[in-house]
Amino acid sequence: MIGWKGRSSLTAWVLGTLTVIFLAYQWLPIFTLGLLSFSGPTGGTTFPMNGTSFHWYQELWRASVMNDFKPPLLRSVLLAAACSATTIVLSVMAAQAMRGQFRGNGWFFYLMLLGIMAPGILVGFGFAILMRLMGVDLSWDTTTFLVQVSWTLPFGFLTMLAVFNRFDKRVEEAALTLGASRLSTFRRITLPLVLPGVIGAGLFGFSLSYDEYARSMFTTGPDATLPLAVMAQLDRQLTPEIYAVGTTTTLFSLIAVTLCTVAFWAMRRSTSLRRT
Amino acid sequence: MSTIRVRSPASYWLAVPAAAWMLGVVVVPIVLLVWVSLWGGRTFSPASPLTFDNYARFFANQTYIKLAGTTVMHTVMLMAVTGVLGYCIAYCLVMKVRSPGWRLALFLAFIIPFWTSTLIRAIAWVPFLGVNGVINQLLMSIGATRSPIEAFLYSKTGITMAQVSLYTMMAAGPVVYMLSSIAPQLREAAMTLKATPLTVFWRIVFPLTLPGVVIGQVLVFLNVMSDFATVATIGGNKHALLSNLVLLFYESSQIRAASVVAVLLMICMLVGVIIALRVVDVRRLGVER
Repeated sequence: MIGWKGRSSLTAWVLGTLTVIFLAYQWLPIFTLGLLSFSGPTGGTTFPMNGTSFHWYQELWRASVMNDFKPPLLRSVLLAAACSATTIVLSVMAAQAMRGQFRGNGWFFYLMLLGIMAPGILVGFGFAILMRLMGVDLSWDTTTFLVQVSWTLPFGFLTMLAVFNRFDKRVEEAALTLGASRLSTFRRITLPLVLPGVIGAGLFGFSLSYDEYARSMFTTGPDATLPLAVMAQLDRQLTPEIYAVGTTTTLFSLIAVTLCTVAFWAMRRSTSLRRT
Repeated sequence: MSTIRVRSPASYWLAVPAAAWMLGVVVVPIVLLVWVSLWGGRTFSPASPLTFDNYARFFANQTYIKLAGTTVMHTVMLMAVTGVLGYCIAYCLVMKVRSPGWRLALFLAFIIPFWTSTLIRAIAWVPFLGVNGVINQLLMSIGATRSPIEAFLYSKTGITMAQVSLYTMMAAGPVVYMLSSIAPQLREAAMTLKATPLTVFWRIVFPLTLPGVVIGQVLVFLNVMSDFATVATIGGNKHALLSNLVLLFYESSQIRAASVVAVLLMICMLVGVIIALRVVDVRRLGVER
């Protein structure tokens, strides 16, 4: 018989091993992708690498018309920036509205949740039919933009709700008591205080839009965004070039996440400074 | 007092743009899908008579019914695997990792891949699974098999392996949240009253984390049911689930057939979410005010 303590540490070992194995399981494909993107010019899509080089990154740079990832990349970045900006404005407005507890705010909350729950394939497909019936041509900068904001907005909204929940309302009250108007209090006091959260919501929106595939697929029309171009290339031919694109965009996403984390950390620090 | 008056017209108008956007882009298209799936006649127009013919045609085909069954089975299996695995990982992270530094590092290690593109992560599984892939090379080098196993890439096994790595953290996340909100005194009290660790787990810890488990399962369910991209990337053209069928019909311009599948997919999802809502009251968790 093993005692309680022994059994507890046994469980810890078993669970710990499982966790580490799963961690490896999750990370190994990503590392392999990164590693294989540096394989030599004769390297295939799996090991051995046949030397190391930047060949596939160079290939990415001087691409032919067929597999040129630069225009899709530009489109994806512009689209993500537009979605991010729209998300910021609308989610700050919506979260501020929730603070006003307007009639039907419960329904409003569920409407936003629906945007997160509804699968991209249904939303994208339904919207594509709607546009077809209305006779609107599909394009990455109009229809895709509309659909993607419906995906990024709820996340920004939830972020802003959380931010306003943590926010010290007494600062606003002080400004209002001193005779500032509601608008100037919001502009001069509230907004600067929640700014890190706003930036977080924006980066969240950027990252979600930049990686979105299902919604874009139905609504983009002839000019593809980056995930669509990657998928199209995958259908044609699998080369390490795709791995190079994958590695590049993954690094790009990681930078966005880091910025996001730093923004939240800065906000936490500013709130804790206020408390002392 | 705050920058916005309670129940003021201003608060109402501030919510209008977001609400209109969501209604126009999410609600209207989904309602439209239901409508289009009922269109009869030969032409694709709103003037079509409404019939259930499209549904009858779908259910008359044995292949499609089997596909629907496969989809549900596949999803249930993934829910079970990610649920158990996710719970173990969450339990380990919250209860067993004592040092805060390690815990933060592990959390980040789990969350960071979650932030990168799902599509790229699915593609990253391709060099792993092929006939000359990493798994086969590994198996052959340790002498487990002599010839490469072809059962990984373009197979159900491969799809499942990739999806487990993609969605386990979705099942684990809400459990982590619920586990860390359990007061340690509860467990101590039970231990003092001479409950065995197993009893403490089943009678105290698990019931308290149940809402987290259910939310995680709902997330996995919704994502796997609609995940056509991973299936297409790893399954090639050999495997399809219901969501791939939507795409297939759409690409061959069979819009009404595609809407039928989309509506059936939607009904499956609604049923799943309603069952989940019967188990836990998600509203209690969602609105923290």
